[in-house]
Amino acid sequence: MPTEWKLFADLAERAGDKHVTVDAGAGDTVGAALTELVDDRPDLEGRVLTDDGELRSQINVLRNGTNVLVEEEGLETELEEGDELALFPPVSGG
Amino acid sequence: MSDLRLDATQLDRYSRHVIMDEIGPEGQQRLLDASVLVVGAGGLGSPAIQYLAAAGVGRLGIVDDDVVERSNLQRQIVHGDDDVGRPKVESAADYVTALNPDIDVEPHETRITAANVADLVDEYDVVLDASDNFATRYLLNDHCVLTGTALSHGAIYRFEGQVTFFTNERSSKAADEDADAPPCYRCIFPEAPEPGTVPDCATTGVLGVLPGTVGCIQATEVVKYILGKGEVLEGRLLMYDAMDMTFETVDVLANPSCPVCSDDPEIESVEDVAYEGSCQISAD
Repeated sequence: MPTEWKLFADLAERAGDKHVTVDAGAGDTVGAALTELVDDRPDLEGRVLTDDGELRSQINVLRNGTNVLVEEEGLETELEEGDELALFPPVSGG
Repeated sequence: MSDLRLDATQLDRYSRHVIMDEIGPEGQQRLLDASVLVVGAGGLGSPAIQYLAAAGVGRLGIVDDDVVERSNLQRQIVHGDDDVGRPKVESAADYVTALNPDIDVEPHETRITAANVADLVDEYDVVLDASDNFATRYLLNDHCVLTGTALSHGAIYRFEGQVTFFTNERSSKAADEDADAPPCYRCIFPEAPEPGTVPDCATTGVLGVLPGTVGCIQATEVVKYILGKGEVLEGRLLMYDAMDMTFETVDVLANPSCPVCSDDPEIESVEDVAYEGSCQISAD
Protein backbone atom coordinates (compact mmCIF):
# COMPACT_ATOMS: atom_id res chain seq x y z
CA MET A 1 0.00 0.00 0.00
CA PRO A 2 1.68 3.26 -1.08
CA THR A 3 1.85 6.31 1.19
CA GLU A 4 1.49 9.91 0.09
CA TRP A 5 3.74 12.73 1.23
CA LYS A 6 2.40 16.27 1.17
CA LEU A 7 5.12 18.89 0.79
CA PHE A 8 4.92 22.54 1.76
CA ALA A 9 6.62 25.71 0.50
CA ASP A 10 10.05 25.35 -1.12
CA LEU A 11 10.06 21.59 -0.49
CA ALA A 12 7.25 21.18 -3.02
CA GLU A 13 9.19 23.23 -5.54
CA ARG A 14 12.31 21.13 -5.08
CA ALA A 15 10.29 17.93 -5.40
CA GLY A 16 8.41 19.24 -8.44
CA ASP A 17 5.02 18.46 -6.84
CA LYS A 18 3.04 19.06 -3.66
CA HIS A 19 2.11 15.39 -3.47
CA VAL A 20 4.51 12.48 -3.90
CA THR A 21 3.52 8.85 -3.47
CA VAL A 22 6.18 6.45 -2.20
CA ASP A 23 6.43 2.71 -1.87
CA ALA A 24 6.14 2.41 1.90
CA GLY A 25 3.15 1.41 3.95
CA ALA A 26 1.77 -0.24 7.08
CA GLY A 27 4.57 -1.74 9.14
CA ASP A 28 7.26 0.46 7.62
CA THR A 29 8.59 3.44 9.56
CA VAL A 30 8.19 7.12 8.78
CA GLY A 31 11.97 7.18 8.29
CA ALA A 32 11.71 4.48 5.61
CA ALA A 33 9.03 6.52 3.84
CA LEU A 34 11.31 9.57 4.06
CA THR A 35 14.19 7.61 2.52
CA GLU A 36 11.89 6.54 -0.32
CA LEU A 37 10.85 10.16 -0.82
CA VAL A 38 14.42 11.46 -0.98
CA ASP A 39 15.45 8.63 -3.29
CA ASP A 40 12.55 9.48 -5.59
CA ARG A 41 13.11 13.27 -5.44
CA PRO A 42 16.86 13.72 -4.90
CA ASP A 43 16.67 17.54 -5.04
CA LEU A 44 15.12 17.34 -1.58
CA GLU A 45 18.07 15.60 0.01
CA GLY A 46 20.32 18.54 0.91
CA ARG A 47 17.36 20.65 2.04
CA VAL A 48 15.83 17.96 4.27
CA LEU A 49 18.85 15.98 5.48
CA THR A 50 22.21 17.06 6.88
CA ASP A 51 25.49 15.83 5.41
CA ASP A 52 25.31 13.07 8.04
CA GLY A 53 21.90 11.97 6.80
CA GLU A 54 20.08 13.34 9.85
CA LEU A 55 16.79 15.21 9.47
CA ARG A 56 17.44 18.96 9.58
CA SER A 57 16.08 20.49 12.78
CA GLN A 58 13.84 23.01 11.02
CA ILE A 59 12.01 20.34 8.99
CA ASN A 60 8.82 19.10 10.65
CA VAL A 61 7.34 15.69 9.88
CA LEU A 62 3.62 15.12 10.27
CA ARG A 63 1.68 11.86 10.28
CA ASN A 64 -2.04 12.53 9.84
CA GLY A 65 -1.45 16.09 11.08
CA THR A 66 0.50 15.06 14.18
CA ASN A 67 4.15 15.99 14.56
CA VAL A 68 5.95 12.65 14.86
CA LEU A 69 9.07 14.33 16.25
CA VAL A 70 7.20 15.77 19.23
CA GLU A 71 4.21 13.56 19.86
CA GLU A 72 5.21 10.18 18.44
CA GLU A 73 8.35 8.10 18.02
CA GLY A 74 10.07 10.36 15.52
CA LEU A 75 11.28 8.71 12.35
CA GLU A 76 10.86 5.33 14.08
CA THR A 77 7.08 5.86 14.19
CA GLU A 78 5.39 2.94 12.47
CA LEU A 79 3.02 3.63 9.62
CA GLU A 80 -0.54 2.42 9.60
CA GLU A 81 -2.69 1.82 6.56
CA GLY A 82 -4.02 5.03 5.02
CA ASP A 83 -1.56 7.33 6.81
CA GLU A 84 -0.82 10.70 5.23
CA LEU A 85 2.62 12.17 5.76
CA ALA A 86 3.73 15.77 5.41
CA LEU A 87 6.95 17.78 5.54
CA PHE A 88 6.90 21.47 6.34
CA PRO A 89 9.75 23.94 6.70
CA PRO A 90 9.75 27.49 8.07
CA VAL A 91 9.18 30.31 5.58
CA SER A 92 10.37 33.86 6.06
CA GLY A 93 8.70 36.08 3.48
CA GLY A 94 6.81 39.12 4.58
CA MET B 1 -11.55 47.39 33.77
CA SER B 2 -10.27 50.41 31.89
CA ASP B 3 -11.66 53.84 32.67
CA LEU B 4 -14.17 54.62 29.97
CA ARG B 5 -13.16 57.78 28.20
CA LEU B 6 -14.78 57.35 24.79
CA ASP B 7 -15.95 60.70 23.43
CA ALA B 8 -18.86 61.17 21.04
CA THR B 9 -16.66 60.94 17.95
CA GLN B 10 -15.08 57.72 19.18
CA LEU B 11 -18.47 56.22 20.05
CA ASP B 12 -19.46 56.95 16.45
CA ARG B 13 -16.19 55.78 14.83
CA TYR B 14 -16.09 52.52 16.80
CA SER B 15 -19.86 52.00 17.04
CA ARG B 16 -19.76 48.62 15.25
CA HIS B 17 -17.35 47.40 17.92
CA VAL B 18 -19.13 49.07 20.80
CA ILE B 19 -22.50 47.47 20.08
CA MET B 20 -21.09 43.95 20.24
CA ASP B 21 -21.30 42.19 23.60
CA GLU B 22 -17.84 40.68 23.08
CA ILE B 23 -16.23 44.12 22.75
CA GLY B 24 -18.48 46.89 24.05
CA PRO B 25 -17.15 50.25 25.26
CA GLU B 26 -14.79 48.49 27.68
CA GLY B 27 -13.18 46.45 24.90
CA GLN B 28 -12.83 49.49 22.70
CA GLN B 29 -11.15 51.33 25.54
CA ARG B 30 -8.73 48.41 25.90
CA LEU B 31 -7.82 48.75 22.25
CA LEU B 32 -7.33 52.51 22.61
CA ASP B 33 -5.11 51.94 25.65
CA ALA B 34 -3.02 49.25 23.91
CA SER B 35 0.27 49.54 22.05
CA VAL B 36 1.51 47.30 19.23
CA LEU B 37 4.85 47.25 17.44
CA VAL B 38 4.62 46.15 13.81
CA VAL B 39 8.02 45.01 12.56
CA GLY B 40 8.02 45.43 8.79
CA ALA B 41 5.86 47.79 6.72
CA GLY B 42 5.72 45.50 3.69
CA GLY B 43 3.29 42.85 2.50
CA LEU B 44 2.24 41.53 5.91
CA GLY B 45 2.70 44.82 7.72
CA SER B 46 0.49 46.80 5.35
CA PRO B 47 -2.87 45.14 6.12
CA ALA B 48 -1.92 44.65 9.75
CA ILE B 49 -1.15 48.35 10.18
CA GLN B 50 -4.33 49.33 8.37
CA TYR B 51 -6.65 47.15 10.45
CA LEU B 52 -4.95 47.80 13.78
CA ALA B 53 -5.19 51.54 13.11
CA ALA B 54 -8.81 51.27 12.00
CA ALA B 55 -9.62 49.19 15.10
CA GLY B 56 -8.30 51.98 17.30
CA VAL B 57 -5.13 50.43 18.74
CA GLY B 58 -4.04 53.59 20.48
CA ARG B 59 -0.28 53.50 19.97
CA LEU B 60 1.18 51.90 16.87
CA GLY B 61 4.93 51.57 16.36
CA ILE B 62 6.24 50.72 12.90
CA VAL B 63 9.80 49.51 12.28
CA ASP B 64 11.37 49.32 8.83
CA ASP B 65 14.61 50.57 7.30
CA ASP B 66 13.55 50.30 3.64
CA VAL B 67 12.19 52.78 1.15
CA VAL B 68 9.16 52.12 -1.03
CA GLU B 69 9.95 50.59 -4.42
CA ARG B 70 7.51 50.38 -7.32
CA SER B 71 7.71 46.56 -7.23
CA ASN B 72 6.36 46.68 -3.65
CA LEU B 73 3.04 48.19 -4.68
CA GLN B 74 1.57 44.93 -6.03
CA ARG B 75 1.07 43.81 -2.41
CA GLN B 76 2.25 46.48 0.07
CA ILE B 77 -1.03 48.36 0.05
CA VAL B 78 -0.29 50.89 2.76
CA HIS B 79 1.95 52.66 0.21
CA GLY B 80 0.94 54.44 -2.99
CA ASP B 81 2.59 55.37 -6.24
CA ASP B 82 3.57 58.81 -4.94
CA ASP B 83 5.42 57.14 -2.05
CA VAL B 84 8.04 55.47 -4.23
CA GLY B 85 11.42 56.46 -2.85
CA ARG B 86 10.06 57.51 0.58
CA PRO B 87 10.91 55.62 3.77
CA LYS B 88 8.25 52.97 4.31
CA VAL B 89 7.71 54.02 7.92
CA GLU B 90 6.90 57.59 6.82
CA SER B 91 4.50 56.45 4.14
CA ALA B 92 2.80 54.01 6.53
CA ALA B 93 2.59 56.62 9.30
CA ASP B 94 0.92 59.09 6.92
CA TYR B 95 -1.63 56.42 5.99
CA VAL B 96 -2.44 55.77 9.66
CA THR B 97 -2.82 59.45 10.48
CA ALA B 98 -5.13 59.98 7.51
CA LEU B 99 -7.21 56.92 8.42
CA ASN B 100 -7.53 57.50 12.14
CA PRO B 101 -6.27 60.59 13.96
CA ASP B 102 -6.91 58.79 17.28
CA ILE B 103 -3.74 56.79 16.81
CA ASP B 104 -0.34 57.80 18.11
CA VAL B 105 1.83 56.41 15.33
CA GLU B 106 5.53 56.02 16.00
CA PRO B 107 7.74 55.40 12.95
CA HIS B 108 11.14 53.82 13.65
CA GLU B 109 13.27 54.02 10.52
CA THR B 110 15.84 51.44 11.48
CA ARG B 111 16.67 47.76 11.18
CA ILE B 112 15.88 45.83 14.34
CA THR B 113 19.03 44.22 15.76
CA ALA B 114 20.20 42.54 18.94
CA ALA B 115 21.59 45.94 19.99
CA ASN B 116 18.30 47.88 19.71
CA VAL B 117 15.60 45.21 20.09
CA ALA B 118 15.02 45.94 23.78
CA ASP B 119 14.71 49.69 23.23
CA LEU B 120 12.16 49.14 20.47
CA VAL B 121 10.10 46.21 21.73
CA ASP B 122 9.91 46.92 25.43
CA GLU B 123 7.82 50.05 24.86
CA TYR B 124 4.93 48.00 23.47
CA ASP B 125 2.36 45.46 24.71
CA VAL B 126 2.39 43.20 21.65
CA VAL B 127 4.75 42.64 18.69
CA LEU B 128 3.48 41.73 15.22
CA ASP B 129 6.23 40.08 13.18
CA ALA B 130 5.79 41.19 9.58
CA SER B 131 9.47 40.94 8.75
CA ASP B 132 10.91 39.27 5.66
CA ASN B 133 13.95 37.40 6.92
CA PHE B 134 14.87 34.64 9.37
CA ALA B 135 17.38 36.75 11.31
CA THR B 136 14.68 39.22 12.41
CA ARG B 137 12.16 36.46 13.07
CA TYR B 138 14.49 34.53 15.41
CA LEU B 139 15.63 37.74 17.12
CA LEU B 140 12.04 38.81 17.81
CA ASN B 141 11.11 35.34 19.04
CA ASP B 142 14.05 35.14 21.41
CA HIS B 143 13.59 38.64 22.81
CA CYS B 144 9.83 38.19 23.23
CA VAL B 145 10.34 34.85 25.02
CA LEU B 146 12.97 36.35 27.33
CA THR B 147 10.77 39.35 28.18
CA GLY B 148 7.37 37.61 28.17
CA THR B 149 6.07 39.78 25.31
CA ALA B 150 3.21 38.52 23.11
CA LEU B 151 4.22 37.92 19.48
CA SER B 152 1.98 37.51 16.44
CA HIS B 153 3.79 35.46 13.80
CA GLY B 154 3.07 35.36 10.09
CA ALA B 155 5.26 34.41 7.13
CA ILE B 156 4.69 33.78 3.44
CA TYR B 157 6.18 31.91 0.49
CA ARG B 158 4.82 32.28 -3.07
CA PHE B 159 1.21 31.03 -2.58
CA GLU B 160 1.48 29.77 1.04
CA GLY B 161 1.37 31.33 4.46
CA GLN B 162 2.05 30.28 8.06
CA VAL B 163 0.44 32.00 11.05
CA THR B 164 0.58 31.44 14.79
CA PHE B 165 0.55 33.42 18.03
CA PHE B 166 2.84 33.23 21.03
CA THR B 167 1.51 34.73 24.27
CA ASN B 168 4.85 33.98 25.96
CA GLU B 169 2.94 33.77 29.26
CA ARG B 170 5.09 31.07 30.84
CA SER B 171 5.18 32.11 34.48
CA SER B 172 1.39 32.24 34.80
CA LYS B 173 1.03 28.90 32.98
CA ALA B 174 3.70 27.35 35.20
CA ALA B 175 1.59 28.21 38.23
CA ASP B 176 -1.26 26.21 36.75
CA GLU B 177 -0.14 22.58 36.77
CA ASP B 178 -2.91 21.57 34.39
CA ALA B 179 -1.90 24.08 31.73
CA ASP B 180 0.45 23.06 28.95
CA ALA B 181 3.50 25.27 28.56
CA PRO B 182 3.06 27.44 25.48
CA PRO B 183 5.45 26.88 22.57
CA CYS B 184 7.68 29.47 20.91
CA TYR B 185 8.93 29.74 17.33
CA ARG B 186 12.09 27.80 18.18
CA CYS B 187 9.98 24.94 19.55
CA ILE B 188 8.68 24.49 16.01
CA PHE B 189 11.81 25.45 14.10
CA PRO B 190 14.86 25.30 16.44
CA GLU B 191 17.22 26.83 13.87
CA ALA B 192 16.85 28.75 10.63
CA PRO B 193 17.70 27.13 7.30
CA GLU B 194 21.26 27.72 6.16
CA PRO B 195 21.51 31.14 4.51
CA GLY B 196 20.89 30.89 0.78
CA THR B 197 19.00 27.59 0.90
CA VAL B 198 15.51 29.13 0.82
CA PRO B 199 14.83 31.66 -1.96
CA ASP B 200 13.15 34.96 -1.05
CA CYS B 201 10.15 36.74 -2.58
CA ALA B 202 12.36 38.76 -4.94
CA THR B 203 13.61 35.50 -6.42
CA THR B 204 10.48 33.35 -6.38
CA GLY B 205 7.73 35.94 -6.65
CA VAL B 206 4.70 36.13 -4.36
CA LEU B 207 0.96 36.31 -5.00
CA GLY B 208 0.10 39.94 -4.17
CA VAL B 209 -3.06 39.21 -2.19
CA LEU B 210 -1.40 36.44 -0.12
CA PRO B 211 0.17 38.70 2.55
CA GLY B 212 -3.17 40.50 2.75
CA THR B 213 -4.86 37.34 4.02
CA VAL B 214 -2.01 36.38 6.34
CA GLY B 215 -1.46 39.91 7.70
CA CYS B 216 -5.18 40.24 8.41
CA ILE B 217 -5.14 37.00 10.40
CA GLN B 218 -2.16 38.28 12.37
CA ALA B 219 -4.03 41.51 13.12
CA THR B 220 -7.13 39.52 14.10
CA GLU B 221 -5.11 37.59 16.67
CA VAL B 222 -3.61 40.78 18.10
CA VAL B 223 -7.04 42.39 18.48
CA LYS B 224 -8.43 39.26 20.19
CA TYR B 225 -5.41 39.09 22.49
CA ILE B 226 -5.82 42.73 23.52
CA LEU B 227 -9.54 42.20 24.09
CA GLY B 228 -8.92 38.96 26.00
CA LYS B 229 -11.62 37.30 23.90
CA GLY B 230 -11.79 34.14 21.85
CA GLU B 231 -9.14 31.49 21.29
CA VAL B 232 -5.88 32.86 19.93
CA LEU B 233 -3.76 30.70 17.62
CA GLU B 234 -1.48 29.60 20.42
CA GLY B 235 -0.22 26.03 20.21
CA ARG B 236 -1.51 25.83 16.65
CA LEU B 237 0.21 26.65 13.37
CA LEU B 238 -2.19 27.64 10.60
CA MET B 239 -0.94 26.79 7.14
CA TYR B 240 -2.76 28.54 4.31
CA ASP B 241 -2.46 27.50 0.67
CA ALA B 242 -3.97 30.16 -1.57
CA MET B 243 -3.66 28.04 -4.71
CA ASP B 244 -5.64 25.13 -3.25
CA MET B 245 -7.63 27.49 -0.97
CA THR B 246 -7.02 25.29 2.04
CA PHE B 247 -6.39 26.13 5.68
CA GLU B 248 -4.75 23.39 7.75
CA THR B 249 -4.06 23.70 11.45
CA VAL B 250 -1.29 21.68 13.05
CA ASP B 251 -0.90 21.42 16.81
CA VAL B 252 2.49 22.69 17.95
CA LEU B 253 3.75 21.88 21.43
CA ALA B 254 6.42 23.32 23.66
CA ASN B 255 9.72 21.53 23.18
CA PRO B 256 11.13 20.56 26.62
CA SER B 257 14.63 21.05 25.21
CA CYS B 258 13.88 24.28 23.36
CA PRO B 259 17.04 26.42 23.27
CA VAL B 260 15.22 29.53 24.47
CA CYS B 261 11.91 28.77 26.26
CA SER B 262 12.74 25.56 28.14
CA ASP B 263 13.43 25.52 31.87
CA ASP B 264 17.18 25.38 31.27
CA PRO B 265 17.70 27.40 28.09
CA GLU B 266 20.93 27.70 26.13
CA ILE B 267 19.91 31.22 25.10
CA GLU B 268 19.68 33.60 28.03
CA SER B 269 20.30 36.76 26.03
CA VAL B 270 19.96 37.75 22.37
CA GLU B 271 23.67 38.54 22.56
CA ASP B 272 24.26 34.74 22.69
CA VAL B 273 23.00 34.22 19.15
CA ALA B 274 24.52 34.75 15.69
CA TYR B 275 21.36 35.94 13.94
CA GLU B 276 22.88 36.49 10.53
CA GLY B 277 23.68 32.78 10.11
CA SER B 278 21.36 29.94 11.08
CA CYS B 279 20.33 31.77 14.25
CA GLN B 280 22.27 29.28 16.39
CA ILE B 281 24.16 29.90 19.59
CA SER B 282 27.42 31.71 18.87
CA ALA B 283 30.51 29.51 18.98
CA ASP B 284 32.50 32.12 20.92
